[in-house]
Amino acid sequence: MSAPATETIFEPALEEKRLLERCERLIEHARKAGADEAEAFGVFGQVSRADFEHGDLKLGQVDDGTSIGLRVFRDRKLGFSSTNQTDDGSLEQTAKDAATLASFSVADEANRLPAVRELEESPGYVQPAVSALGIDDVVARGSEFVHKVAERDARISIDKADMSVSCSSLAVTSTAGVRTSDSDAAVSFSVFGMAVDGEDVGGFDYWGDTVRDLGRLDASIDESVDRFCDAVLGNLGAAAAETYTGPVLFAPAAWLSIFVSPLLGAASAIAVQRGRSALVGKLGEVVAVPALTIVDDPTDLELTGAGTFDREGQPMVRFPVVEDGVLRSFLYNGYAAQVEGRESTGHATGGARSVPGLGTHAISIAGGAGGTRAEMLGALGRGLFVQRFSGTVDAASGDFSGVAKSARWIENGEVVRSLKETLISGNAFELLKQVGALSTETENVFGSTRSPSAIVDGVSVTAG
Amino acid sequence: MNSDPTDLLQEVLSGIDEDFVELRFHKKRTRSLSVEKGRVDQAKISEHTGVGVRVLTGGSWGFASTDRVDAETIKRSVEGARRAARASAAQKRDKAAPLPATELARGRFEAPGTSELAGRPIEESLGMVLRLEEQARNSSSAIQSAGCSYTEVFEEKGIVTTDGAKAWTQLVRPEFRIMAVAQRDGEIQRGSEAVGVTGGWDCLFRNATAEALTDKAAKLAVDLLGAGYPDGGRKRVLLSPSLVGLLTHEAVGHTVEADFVMSGSVAAGKLGTRVASDLVTLCDSGASEYYDGAGGTLLVDDEGVATQNTTIIRNGVLENYLHDRASAAHFEVAPTGNARAWEYDDEPLIRMRNTYIAPGDATLEEMIADIEDGFLLDGPANGQADSNGEFMFGTREAYRIVNGKKGELMRGVNISGAAFDVLKTVDRVGADFVWDLGSGHCGKGQPAKVDAGGPWLSCEVIVGGRNG
Repeated sequence: MSAPATETIFEPALEEKRLLERCERLIEHARKAGADEAEAFGVFGQVSRADFEHGDLKLGQVDDGTSIGLRVFRDRKLGFSSTNQTDDGSLEQTAKDAATLASFSVADEANRLPAVRELEESPGYVQPAVSALGIDDVVARGSEFVHKVAERDARISIDKADMSVSCSSLAVTSTAGVRTSDSDAAVSFSVFGMAVDGEDVGGFDYWGDTVRDLGRLDASIDESVDRFCDAVLGNLGAAAAETYTGPVLFAPAAWLSIFVSPLLGAASAIAVQRGRSALVGKLGEVVAVPALTIVDDPTDLELTGAGTFDREGQPMVRFPVVEDGVLRSFLYNGYAAQVEGRESTGHATGGARSVPGLGTHAISIAGGAGGTRAEMLGALGRGLFVQRFSGTVDAASGDFSGVAKSARWIENGEVVRSLKETLISGNAFELLKQVGALSTETENVFGSTRSPSAIVDGVSVTAG
Repeated sequence: MNSDPTDLLQEVLSGIDEDFVELRFHKKRTRSLSVEKGRVDQAKISEHTGVGVRVLTGGSWGFASTDRVDAETIKRSVEGARRAARASAAQKRDKAAPLPATELARGRFEAPGTSELAGRPIEESLGMVLRLEEQARNSSSAIQSAGCSYTEVFEEKGIVTTDGAKAWTQLVRPEFRIMAVAQRDGEIQRGSEAVGVTGGWDCLFRNATAEALTDKAAKLAVDLLGAGYPDGGRKRVLLSPSLVGLLTHEAVGHTVEADFVMSGSVAAGKLGTRVASDLVTLCDSGASEYYDGAGGTLLVDDEGVATQNTTIIRNGVLENYLHDRASAAHFEVAPTGNARAWEYDDEPLIRMRNTYIAPGDATLEEMIADIEDGFLLDGPANGQADSNGEFMFGTREAYRIVNGKKGELMRGVNISGAAFDVLKTVDRVGADFVWDLGSGHCGKGQPAKVDAGGPWLSCEVIVGGRNG
C-alpha cells in the first residue's frame, strides 16, 4: 500500500475527536447567539479517486474536507446554517446566521430536538486495508477494472468509469445530550458506456458497487464487469416491442425505482401527516401481495447505508416496513415523531448541508418463490423484460410512465431480441397487488439495496 | 461578497513555469426557504468555499482541492494534484497533449441581480413563501396540502491559469417553486410550477407573478382529478416551449457533448449531415439570447474561456459539438466555453448552458388547426437521453387535439423517440420564444444549472399512454 497523495493517513479516532470538538464549539456559539436548542452534525471526508474516459485514465484526484451543519430552535422556531470553514470566526458566523433565521421563522410545537437514546455498539466500518489505499492503488485497481471491461469485447465503448476510496467520519452533538460519532471507509467503482457495432449504437448502461471489505472487491468487480458487458452488448440490434397490457419482468433496479421507491416515499410519516401519501389510513392493511416483505436493515454491513445512528443521533435498527404484504409502520424522524408525540424510528437522513430529512437507510427485500432468473423468464413466457427504467413516478398518485431500458423481448422463456422505444406505464400502488412472482435470488443493487426481480401483471406496454 | 481572490491565486502560480496549472476559487452561498402546510421545513443559509486545482504534467491530469483559501494551503494542493497526476502517468494509455493556446478571459464579469438580491431581507422572502403556500392550500376544498419554496444561490468564482486566464465572476440564481396536492375519493393528483433565472427579483417573476404561478399549480392539481389517460402510440404533438427545451437538452444536447461524441454517441461522425428538418436551428449559448435571465447563463466557463453561442444544428444540418479545451484541441476547433464544475471540489466537465431552438413564424392557433389527431403537451417533468439518441421526458398536461381543435385535459405522460428522427418530423415552428427550464438541473456525475427553451413545435413522438 502506498501513502495517500494527500500525505494524510485517515485516522478515524482523531477525525471523530476533531469533529466532536468543532460541533461542540458550534453549539456553544449557538447558545450565545440566542438558541434555545441546538444540534450540530459534522462530516469529514477524504477521497482518492481515478476517473477514466473513453477507456483511458483521465484524471487522478485527491480531496479532503469538512462540513458542519447547525440546526437551532428559538421559541420553537427553526433556523439552519452550514459551513465548510472550521475556524472559530466562521463557526460563530454560522451560529449567528442560524439564530437570526430562527428569530423570524414561524413557531411550531414539533420543533424540539430528540432526546439522547442508547445506541448499539458500532461493529466498526473501517477496514484498515481499505483506509490505507492511496492514489497509486486506486489508479492501479481502476485501470485493472477498466481493462477487464475493454478486453471483453472490442465493440464495448467505455464512456466513463471510476474507482475511488472514501474515508469519512461523522459526529452529532446536541443540547438534548446527544454526543456520538463513527467512521466509515469503502471502495466504490462504476462503469458507464455502450456497445457500438458499425452504424449500430446500442443504448447505454452502467453498473458499479461499493464494498467495505477489500476481500470482496475482486469478486464484485468481476460480477459487475459481467453485468455491464452483458447489458450493453445485449442492447445492440434493438427492434420494436409489441403493444400489450399484461405481465412484465422487472430486474431489481427497475423494480425498485418503479414500485418500491414510491411505496417507501408514501410511508414517510410527514407525507402521511400532510395528506400527500396514498398510504393514509392504511397502517396494518394489505398494500401488496403476501410475498412482499420490505425491511430497512442498517445492520447489513454489505449495504452502504449501514450504521448505528441516524442524522439526529437516534438508534438505527432492523425495521420492517412491509411484512407479508401488510404495511407495518410509517417512518419517523425527530420532527415527525414530535408531531404525534412518539419516538423517532431512527429514519432521519441527510448530510451537513441541510436540516435532517426522512427516509430509509438500507432497504432489503426478501426473495420469493420464483426461482432463478431463468425460471422467472420461463414464468413470464412471452413479453417484456425491463432491466432499467428511465421515466417518472409520481410519489403521491403512484402513476408511472417512462422508457424500458436495456429491455428484451421474451418468447418461450428465452431472450429473442433487444428492444428500443418501448414505453411502460401504470400505477405502482395498484400493481403492487398484482405481483405474480419474486425471484428467489436477490441482488445487491449498486451496493445500497438488496432486492429480487419481480413479475408484475397489468403493466401497459407501448411499442414505438 | 466581492472577495476577488484572483491576485492571491496569481501569487500561488507565480513560481510555476513547467506544468499547466489551473486554480479555481469557488464560493457558493445559498439561502433557502421551504414551507409545507403552514410549517417551515427549511430556513437555511449555507456557505461553502474552496479552491480546486488541476495540473497537467507529463501527459497526465491530476486534481486536488482544499477548503482553505490561503497561499500555503493552495500550494500544498498543487503538489497534491501533481502527485495524483504522476500516479496516473504509469497507467495512462494516451498521453494528454498540452492545451493549445487560446484566448482566455481576464477581468471582472458580473451578471445582473447579485447586489439587489443580496440586499433583499430574507424575512420578506419567507413572508412571501408562507403567504403563497396558504393561498394554494385555500384555493379549493380539494387541495389537501401545498408546499412553496424559494432559493437563492450566490456564486463567486476566480479562475487563474498558468497560460493566462485571470477572471473573477459573480452571479445569482434565484428559484421559486409552488406545489399543490389535490385529493378526491382516494385519488391524489399534484400540480406544480417552478421558475428559475440568472438575475434579480423582477427578472424571476417577469413572465408570471408568484400569485399567478400559485393559482395555476393549484388549478392543475384539481383539474387532473378524474382526468383520463391518453392512448399510447406514435402521435403528432405540439410541444410547449418548456418541452421543446427538454427536447433540445435531452434529445440533442447530450449527444453532441464532445466527450460523449468521442465515446461513440449517435452524433459521432455526423457533422455536416442532415439530422433535422430544415426548420430546425438549435443552439447552446452562455448568454441569455432573445431576453435576459436564462437560468444557465455563464459569462466565463470553469477553464477561463469566455462563453460562446454555439450553433449545433443550422437549418437541419449538424454543425458543431460542445467543447472544453481538451476536446476542442482533439477536434481542432476553438473551445466553446462549456467546461463547468458544480463546486470547488469537482473537476470541470463538458456541460450545456442555455440550449434552445430558434423561433419560426407560426402562431399556436395555426399549429393546432394543422393537426387532425394528436396532443398538445405542456409542463416538463424529468428527462433523460441515451447514447443511441433515444430520449425520454415527462409531461404533466396533455390535451387531445381532434380535427384542429384543442380538447379536454388528460394526464401528462412520458414521451420518447430517437432524437434525430423526431427532429426530422418537425413541420411547424412557433414564433414566440420562451426560456422555460430555469428551475432545472442537469445531472452528469455532478449537477449543473441549465436552462432551455424555444417556441411551440410540431413533431412526431411516441406517447406512453395506457392501452386497454
